[in-house]
Amino acid sequence: MSGIAPMFPNEKPEHPYLQQSYGGKVFGNFASLFCGGCGYGIIGQIFTRIFEDEKLDPKLHPTVIGIGCYSQIMLLVHEAAQKVLALHGRAPAVATGMKMANPKMKPIVFSGDGDCLGIGGNHFIHICRRNVDCLIMIFNNSIYAMTGGQGAPTTLYGAKSTTTPYTMFENRTDGVKLALAAGAPYVARTTVAHPRTLMKYFRKALRHKGTSVIEIITPCVTYFGRKNLSNLGEEYKGEKGEKMDTGGKMIDWIKRNSVRINQAKFMTDEELFNKYIIGEFRYEPKPEYSDEYAKIQKIAMGGK
Amino acid sequence: MSSSSDKRFLPEGRHLLMGNIAMVEGAISAGLTFFGGYPITPSTEAIEHLAKRLPEIGGCCMQMEDELASINSVIGASLVGAKSMTATSGPGLSLMTETISMAANLEIPFVFCDVQRTGPGTGLVTEPHHNDLGLMRFSGNGEFQVIAIAPMNCQELFDLTITAFNYAETYRCPVFLMSDAYLGHLHEVVNIPPKEEILKRVIKRESPEDAPARVFSYKDRETGEYVIPKPPIMGTDYCPGLFIHLPHGPEGLPTPKPMEFMEMMIEKIKSNIDKITMVDKYKLEDAEIVIIAYGLPVRTSYRAVEIARQEGIKVGLLRLITVWPFPDELVKEVVKDAKAVIVPELNYTGIIAEQVQRVTKLTTPIIKIGKVAEFHHPDDILKVIKEVAK
Repeated sequence: MSGIAPMFPNEKPEHPYLQQSYGGKVFGNFASLFCGGCGYGIIGQIFTRIFEDEKLDPKLHPTVIGIGCYSQIMLLVHEAAQKVLALHGRAPAVATGMKMANPKMKPIVFSGDGDCLGIGGNHFIHICRRNVDCLIMIFNNSIYAMTGGQGAPTTLYGAKSTTTPYTMFENRTDGVKLALAAGAPYVARTTVAHPRTLMKYFRKALRHKGTSVIEIITPCVTYFGRKNLSNLGEEYKGEKGEKMDTGGKMIDWIKRNSVRINQAKFMTDEELFNKYIIGEFRYEPKPEYSDEYAKIQKIAMGGK
Repeated sequence: MSSSSDKRFLPEGRHLLMGNIAMVEGAISAGLTFFGGYPITPSTEAIEHLAKRLPEIGGCCMQMEDELASINSVIGASLVGAKSMTATSGPGLSLMTETISMAANLEIPFVFCDVQRTGPGTGLVTEPHHNDLGLMRFSGNGEFQVIAIAPMNCQELFDLTITAFNYAETYRCPVFLMSDAYLGHLHEVVNIPPKEEILKRVIKRESPEDAPARVFSYKDRETGEYVIPKPPIMGTDYCPGLFIHLPHGPEGLPTPKPMEFMEMMIEKIKSNIDKITMVDKYKLEDAEIVIIAYGLPVRTSYRAVEIARQEGIKVGLLRLITVWPFPDELVKEVVKDAKAVIVPELNYTGIIAEQVQRVTKLTTPIIKIGKVAEFHHPDDILKVIKEVAK
């Protein structure tokens, strides 16, 4: 210690993954376009971190991004990743084409709840059924946020949105159950409140050959939190909730509203109503589509 | 893999092929390696034949869950460097327009075979109807120019499919191949040229060695010409960091000048219209009556012209092999001195007749002969010729 005070005591050290992010490379900062309290920043940074740490080959991991708020994640993810913005809901189909045209690739699909479970539900079911080698991340903020907070297929019962002003009364889609029913070999759900777990699942999915589905529960303060109270959910009906108008309050709510899969086994359906069950639901590797197709090619070419 | 490359080409010589099969054999010769499709009458033979043929040459034929998925898988495959196509009919085209518009924006090359059937709605599934012409021209939201090629027999279905792939590679826009229910199911003799000859014609998908930063089309400020770079390939160095379908500049980054982008989308094709346009001018030199036709009605029109000429009526035929972009100047030149223009079409509205009307500025009388779900008989056209010649 020389005893001289640092010249700029408030200057923060540069973020270790700043230069690796697309925005950091182009603009010199993360250039995040997300609202305060949004969870997509966490996901984007985790993607960059894993892309860098795992030394993923950008040429073999094309990133297919669907349409939603999270489309802006392209500024946060690794600058070397080759990114395609697909049409609303069609990202799994584009990834299928990529994988089959170049079987060495493993596409990474970013998709949202409205994207993957709403408009693109069919493509999602069939990519899981075929078991095409790719990683699908479903960002579930239980609302259509980009268009201004309309009810989504995943909106919780009793929640308010701009198209369900008198509370949501439709049943919700469960992305994990859908993926399990469609036959995806690796299915997991976690939240942005558990970033370490998310990183663990991400790494596991990258090493697994086949369709991996990771649903990530993420907060939307602007359109979901501000309109809803933290007593959302059957269990807390008697409580006096408060408006979830900050990221912290929403993260608290997500943590409170998620149940570990081991715990959920001992709970009744009523207790689990409106809850998010988190954990790994299935890990059963099975024959992958492009491998099976290679066998077909061999037969067609006159081999055995 | 020598065996697989041998299987790419049919043996040289005469083959009896169905229209749909001649078309996909042409595509395989042109280097097709990915096909994403969904069965729809009358295009089903295409996916059936490719399911057998593409694995033989190391390609992939996928039957997707719906038309939306098939066209999206096709552009996904095209993005990673595979020559790809899909085949469908009118209802499929209606579903696919969203993605065609996106592919036009990102200048993703692919070939689209539309085996047209009678519409609207489900219509008559095994009868022809050139009704998708307008939908092709304005396929999808936004403004862009497409190329549409109209073969008239099985030989042309083979040859022009190769041309369609070359156009897709060169001009990087959606290229449509307009077949129809009769043409697709027609069995005819096709002369397959030797493979060396085919290979000479085919433009390969390769990324340039120096990998320039400008991967999308742009207007050269000095010469004023439109430069269309080779299509970028994901998984190589020749690829922008981001493919984003909003008005973009040549590097792929969003541009603050959408008007310039829109101009590029249209003019990159229109400025090359002389190179793109293919027509056949049949006995037009001294013609007083001009027939303008495309697709199947051309066959009866040729016959009608021959009979009329024997009877001393000066009739000529302008056959449009490429229908879009519509060759305004060429048609204007041909119909300049014509007494009347006859447009036999397999639809009621007369989509090309409207275009001719636009070009002639209503100075020349235009007679439409519309037929739906049936052929023109040469007599149908001859009757009109004689009435006009009186």
